[in-house]
Amino acid sequence: MWDTARMDVKRVVDVIRVDPARPGGRTPVEKAPDPELGTAVIPAERYYSEEFMKLEWERVWTKVWLLGGRADDIPEPGDYICTEIGKESVLIVRQADGSLRCFPNVCLHRGNRLRPEGIGKATEFRCMYHHWTYGLDGRIERLPDLCTFPQGGPPGMTLRSLPCTEWNSFVWFSLNPEVEPFDDYIAPLKDHLEPYHPERMAWKRDVTVEWDCNWKASVDAFNETYHVQGIHPQLLWYLDDVNVQIDCYERHNRYLIPFATISPRVAMPSTIPPAIDEIMRNAGMDPADYEGRVGDIRRDVQRFKREHGPAQGKDYSALNDDQLTDDYHYMIFPNVALNVHADDILMFRQRPHATDPNKMLYDVWVFELVPEGEPWPERVKHRRFKHGDRSIGQVLDQDAHNLPTVQLGMQSDSFPGLWIGEQELRIRHFHKVLDDYIYGPGGKGPDDI
Amino acid sequence: MDLGLQGKKAIVVGGARGIGYAVAEVLAREGCDVALSARGEDSVKDAVAALSRYGTRVVGKPVNVKRADDYKAWLDWAIEALEGVDVLIPLSSASGGIGSEKYWYNAFETDVMGPVRAIEAVIPTMTEQQRGAIVLVSTTSALEAMGGPQAYNAMKASLITYGKQLALAHGKDGIRVNVVSPGPVEFEGGNWDMIKGTMEKFYQSQLRQQPMGRLGRPEEIARAIVFLASDAASWCNGSHLVVDGGFTNRTHF
Repeated sequence: MWDTARMDVKRVVDVIRVDPARPGGRTPVEKAPDPELGTAVIPAERYYSEEFMKLEWERVWTKVWLLGGRADDIPEPGDYICTEIGKESVLIVRQADGSLRCFPNVCLHRGNRLRPEGIGKATEFRCMYHHWTYGLDGRIERLPDLCTFPQGGPPGMTLRSLPCTEWNSFVWFSLNPEVEPFDDYIAPLKDHLEPYHPERMAWKRDVTVEWDCNWKASVDAFNETYHVQGIHPQLLWYLDDVNVQIDCYERHNRYLIPFATISPRVAMPSTIPPAIDEIMRNAGMDPADYEGRVGDIRRDVQRFKREHGPAQGKDYSALNDDQLTDDYHYMIFPNVALNVHADDILMFRQRPHATDPNKMLYDVWVFELVPEGEPWPERVKHRRFKHGDRSIGQVLDQDAHNLPTVQLGMQSDSFPGLWIGEQELRIRHFHKVLDDYIYGPGGKGPDDI
Repeated sequence: MDLGLQGKKAIVVGGARGIGYAVAEVLAREGCDVALSARGEDSVKDAVAALSRYGTRVVGKPVNVKRADDYKAWLDWAIEALEGVDVLIPLSSASGGIGSEKYWYNAFETDVMGPVRAIEAVIPTMTEQQRGAIVLVSTTSALEAMGGPQAYNAMKASLITYGKQLALAHGKDGIRVNVVSPGPVEFEGGNWDMIKGTMEKFYQSQLRQQPMGRLGRPEEIARAIVFLASDAASWCNGSHLVVDGGFTNRTHF
C-alpha cells in the first residue's frame, strides 16, 4: 500500500472500515496479498497489433466464460438473448424445462445469421433465407426439400451446443466446448457478489457505444482510481480516491473505494457537497437536518440505511456497513467491470471489435434496486450509438474522452508502452492474467508483446 | 492610518475558517485580543494556535450557535475571558440550501439568531463603557439573485435592516453598527472552492461576470470588516458596505 501522506494530498485521512474478521456480511473484505508483478512496461503493441488481436481471439475469447446478458430478460420458454462477441454471434435460449441452451447464431445451410442482436421471443428459429427451421433446443425441425440433399442434413441435424449457465441474475456462455466449470472460473467472486442480490434490481440503462480504442484501453480505464484527480475533479467531493483497497485474485480483481466522503486531495468543506447531498436524500435523510460534520456523513449514511432500509423495502441484511455507501468495484476477467452498490449496479461489458483492434464495443448496463412492494419497472430499451454522438453521463463522458487519443498515442514509435504505478496494480494484474492465457502460465518471453 | 485597534477586545463568532478566520487574523495582527468560536473542537484549536503568533491573547472554544443556551454561555465566557468586549463580528452561517423547509430554520437560527443573541450579550458591556463596534455580515446574494430563491439570501437580507435599526438605537451609547455584504469569496475548503471542482462551467460563468476576472479573497473582505470595526471608521454608523470587486450590477445611489 502506498504512503498516502507523501502523495499530492491536502490531508491524511484514516478511513473507518468494517472489521475484516467480522465484516457483518457475506462479502469478504480482507486485503488480499499484493502479487509481485514487477515494474516492467506493458507493451503498447498489444493494443493495436492485429496479430495480438488474433492471439486474443484464439486463446482468450474462444476459451473463457463470457457474460451474455441478464437472466430476467428471458424468463419464459422461447425467450432468447442474441449477443455478439468478435466475429461470433450466439443465441442463448430458455428451454421448455426452464434450463438454458446456447447455440452459434448461424444457419447450418449457407451461414446466415438466424436472428439480429438483441432479446426476443421465439417458438422456433427459422432462417430468413431458405427457411431452415430450428427448434428451441437447436435441432433442425424443418429442412425444405431434404430429399434434394443426397448427403442428408448436417451432422446430427442440430446446431452445436455451447456451454452456458445462469449465475446471480446473469447468463454466461463460452465458445469453448471444453471450458472449465463456471464455478471454478468465477471463483472466488460468488461470495463477493451474491450478497448484492441483483435479482432484486431492474434495468435502468442499456446502452452500447462504439468506442475508438482497443477493448483493453477501456478495461484499464476502469481499473484504477489514479485518474480521478485527472479527469473527474467533481468526484473529489464524493469519494476517497486515495484510500483505496486493491485485491487481486487468481484471474479477477477488485478495489474498494469509500463513497459519500471527501478526497484527501481537497480541503474538507463545511457544507455538504451536492453529490453527497443526493446520496443522503436517496437514503431517505434530510441533509438540511444533518448536524454532523461532512467527514462523518459516510458513517451516518451507513447507520441510517441499516436502520431504515427494512422500512423502505430495502433488505441490506447480506451486506456489510461499508457496502451501504462504498463502491466495491470488480473486474471479471476478461471484460466485465462492475461497480456494485447496495442500491444499484453499474456494469460495463467491454467487447473487442470483430476485425479492428482500434475499435471496441462498450456496453453500459445499469440496474437499480426495486424496493419490496413497488411495481417492477418496464424494461428500458437498448440504445446504440457512436463515440461522442450522445452523452452517457458526465462521469462516463469524462472516462471516454481520452480513449481515442490514448489509442492514437499507443501507435507512436515514441511510445514503448504503459508506465504503470502502484495505484494501477489492477492493470498490471489484468495484463498478467492475459499474458498467462496468451503465452501459457509464466510463458511470456522478453520479446513477446 | 492608525486603526486604533491595539489592545481592543474582539469576539468573532465563526472565526476558524474563511472570512471569519481572516477577520480574526487581521484583528490579532492589529493588536486585538480575540475570542473565536467554531463548531469543531479541532478547527478552534488549530485557529487559536495559528493566531497566537501575533502575540495578543487569542482564546477559543467550540459551540453550536443553534443551541441557544450553549451559545449564550459561550458568549458570557468570551466576554469574561477577554475581560470585556469592544468589537463584535458574528459571522457563522448555515449556508444555502433549497428543497427542505428545514433550511429556513437553519438560516434563521444561525444567520439571524446567531448575530441577534451575540448583540444582546455584548450590548450591556458596550453600553456601560459607552463604546463598541459591531459589524454584521450579509451577502450580495441579499441584493441580487444568486443560487435560486432560498432561505440563506432572505435571512441574510434581514441583517441589513436590523443593522441599521441597531445603529439608530445604540448610537447614543457610542456603539456603532455597520453591515458588510461580500460578493463571492473563494478559499480552500470554501463553497466556491467546491463549486470550482464540482460545477466548473457555473464557476467560469461567475468569473466572466466579475469585473476584475476573479473572486474575492477572505482577507479582502476581512480588511473592510475590520476597518468598520475600528476607530478609524468612527463616523461610519448604520452604513452598508458592499465589498464585491464590482460584481453586483445595481448602482448604489
